[in-house]
Amino acid sequence: MTLTRADFVGVMKNAISGLGLGPDAAMVTFPIELFLPGSDIAQVEARKREFYDGLTHWTSNLAADAGGESPMASVRGATFEDTMVRANNLMIANLWGDGLPLWPATRERVEWILRGSTLPRAHVLGTFPPRGGVATVEVCAIALAMAGGRPEYLPVLVAAVDAFLDPDSGSEQLQAASGSAFPVVIVNGPIGPQIRLNSGFGCLGPDPQRPAGASIGRALRLMQQNVGGARPGIGTMANYGGLRYTNVVFAEDEDNLPAGWPAHGTDRHGFAPGRSAVSLAFANGATNIRRRGAKKETPEEDALQGMHRMADFMRVPNMAGLAGYERGTPGILMIPGVVAQTMTALGWTKRSMREFLWEHSRIPAEHLRRAGGHAWIEIDASPVTRASRRLDPWPITASPDNIILIVAGGGHPTNSYWLQGYSPGVVGREIQVPEDFGHLLDEANRDLDTPAVAS
Amino acid sequence: MVTLEFHDPSGRLEARQPHAPRLASLEGKRIGFVSNEQWQAYRMLPLLKTLLERDFAGIEVLPIDAFPQGNALIATEETAAQVKQSGVDAVIIGNAA
Repeated sequence: MTLTRADFVGVMKNAISGLGLGPDAAMVTFPIELFLPGSDIAQVEARKREFYDGLTHWTSNLAADAGGESPMASVRGATFEDTMVRANNLMIANLWGDGLPLWPATRERVEWILRGSTLPRAHVLGTFPPRGGVATVEVCAIALAMAGGRPEYLPVLVAAVDAFLDPDSGSEQLQAASGSAFPVVIVNGPIGPQIRLNSGFGCLGPDPQRPAGASIGRALRLMQQNVGGARPGIGTMANYGGLRYTNVVFAEDEDNLPAGWPAHGTDRHGFAPGRSAVSLAFANGATNIRRRGAKKETPEEDALQGMHRMADFMRVPNMAGLAGYERGTPGILMIPGVVAQTMTALGWTKRSMREFLWEHSRIPAEHLRRAGGHAWIEIDASPVTRASRRLDPWPITASPDNIILIVAGGGHPTNSYWLQGYSPGVVGREIQVPEDFGHLLDEANRDLDTPAVAS
Repeated sequence: MVTLEFHDPSGRLEARQPHAPRLASLEGKRIGFVSNEQWQAYRMLPLLKTLLERDFAGIEVLPIDAFPQGNALIATEETAAQVKQSGVDAVIIGNAA
C-alpha cells in the first residue's frame, strides 16, 4: 500500500495500471501541506486505521478493460455543425482533448489514415507509460485523425511512438514528472519535404504551407495524454507544460548541410545517409539566441562571438538535464543552414563546434555549489554523473558528442535556437512507408495545392 | 438528425497480474518500507513503524532504510528482489507527492 498526496492519485493509478495491475490500489492520501518541511504529521497517527485496513481489508473495485477494438462513442445533432459541437463537447468532457477543436476519429477517417501504415492496425507498439494503455497502430491513427492529420504523416508518427516507448528514451519517468519535458522529434531523409514537414522559416511553429509537424506532434501529445494518462495535475505533475500542444516535430534542413557535415540521423544513430528516420529526445525549455554580431565584426569575429553567446546560453545549472548526463543530451542546438555553411567556410566542423560549446559551457564549481547543484549530482543514479562532481569547471554533459547540433531554421544568420534537454536518452528509428506511398503524396498534392476559393 | 460515431482514443488496458492478497491480520507479521526518501518520508514512515509496533503484538517492522531508498533505486528489479528475499509479508510505499 502507498502513502501519497491527494492530488497525486491519478499519477499513482497510472503507475499501477502501467505495471499491469488493475488501475487501483490501497492508498492513504493527505494534502500537500503534510509533505512540506516542518509539517504537522499528527494526521498520520489520526488516520492510522486506514493504513492498517489497506494492508488487511482493501479490495479493488476496478478491472482492466476487456480488450479488442477501440470502443466507439456516438453523438446526434440537428445539423452537421451541431453534431460537431456535440462531438467536441463529449471529447472535452471525457478529457480526451487539448482545448483546441478536434476532428472526431470516425471509422472512415481512421481507415483513411491507416493507408499510411506498413503494419496491421492491431500491431502493438508497446504500452504507453505511465497508465499502460496499449499503443497499437490503430490507436496512432485515431490520435492522428483527432489531430487533423493525414495518411502520409502516419509513418512518422508510428516511428516516433516506437521511439517514445523505448525504455532508453526515459519516457516512463518523464511522462509523469514535474519538469514539463516535451518530446522533440527530428526527422531526417526524404520523407520530411515529401510530407510537408518544415525545416526552414518557422519550423517550430504553425505553418500552413508545411503543416505536418503540428498534426504529428499534436497526435503524439494526445497519445501521451489519452493512452499514457498524462493529464495535467492528474496523471502528470508537469508544473507548466510548455510546448505541449504540438510538442516539437521538424525536419533537418538537409538541402543546406555543408559538404562533409553529416545529417543528424547518420551522425547520432548511424542510419544510412538519405534514409528516412526519426530521432526523439526530450526538452524542457526553448530559447531563441541572437547569434549574429551587431556592428563591424569580421567573419571570424562574428563566428566566434556567436559561438560564445550560444555556449553562454547553455551554461546553466539545469539539474533536470542530469537525467541525460551520461548517454542522453543536454539539449538541441539549432543553427540555420547559412550559418553552418559560413562556419564551415571558416574552418569549423560539426565536431569542432560541439567541442567548443562543451568546453565553453562548463560551469565553475563555485557557481554550481552556490546553486545547490552538487547535491543533485550526488544523488544521481549514474556513477558517471556522480563522478563529475569533482570536475571544475563542471561540464554540462559527459561528452561533446551528447550535444545535438541540428541544421534547421530559416535562411537567415541572425538567430539560433536552444532546446534545453531533459533527456535520459536519444532514440532513433527508421521510418517505414507503404508501397503506395507515392499515391498518398499525390493525393496530398491534390488536396493541399488547390488554390483557395471563396465559394 | 445527424449521427456521428467516433473512436475512444484511450487504448485498452491489460491486467497481467493481480494485486497482492491482503493479510488476515498484522499481528506477528513482518512489514517493510520502500521509501523515495523525499516529501517528509524520513519523519512519516518512522512514525508508522512506531504505531504498528505499538498496536500489533509480535509484529516486526523493518527500519525505513532496510531497502535501497530514493527514486532512482526503489523501482529497480534489484530492490524488488531484495524486498522479496527479506521475507516481508507486506510493504508500505512512500512518499508519493
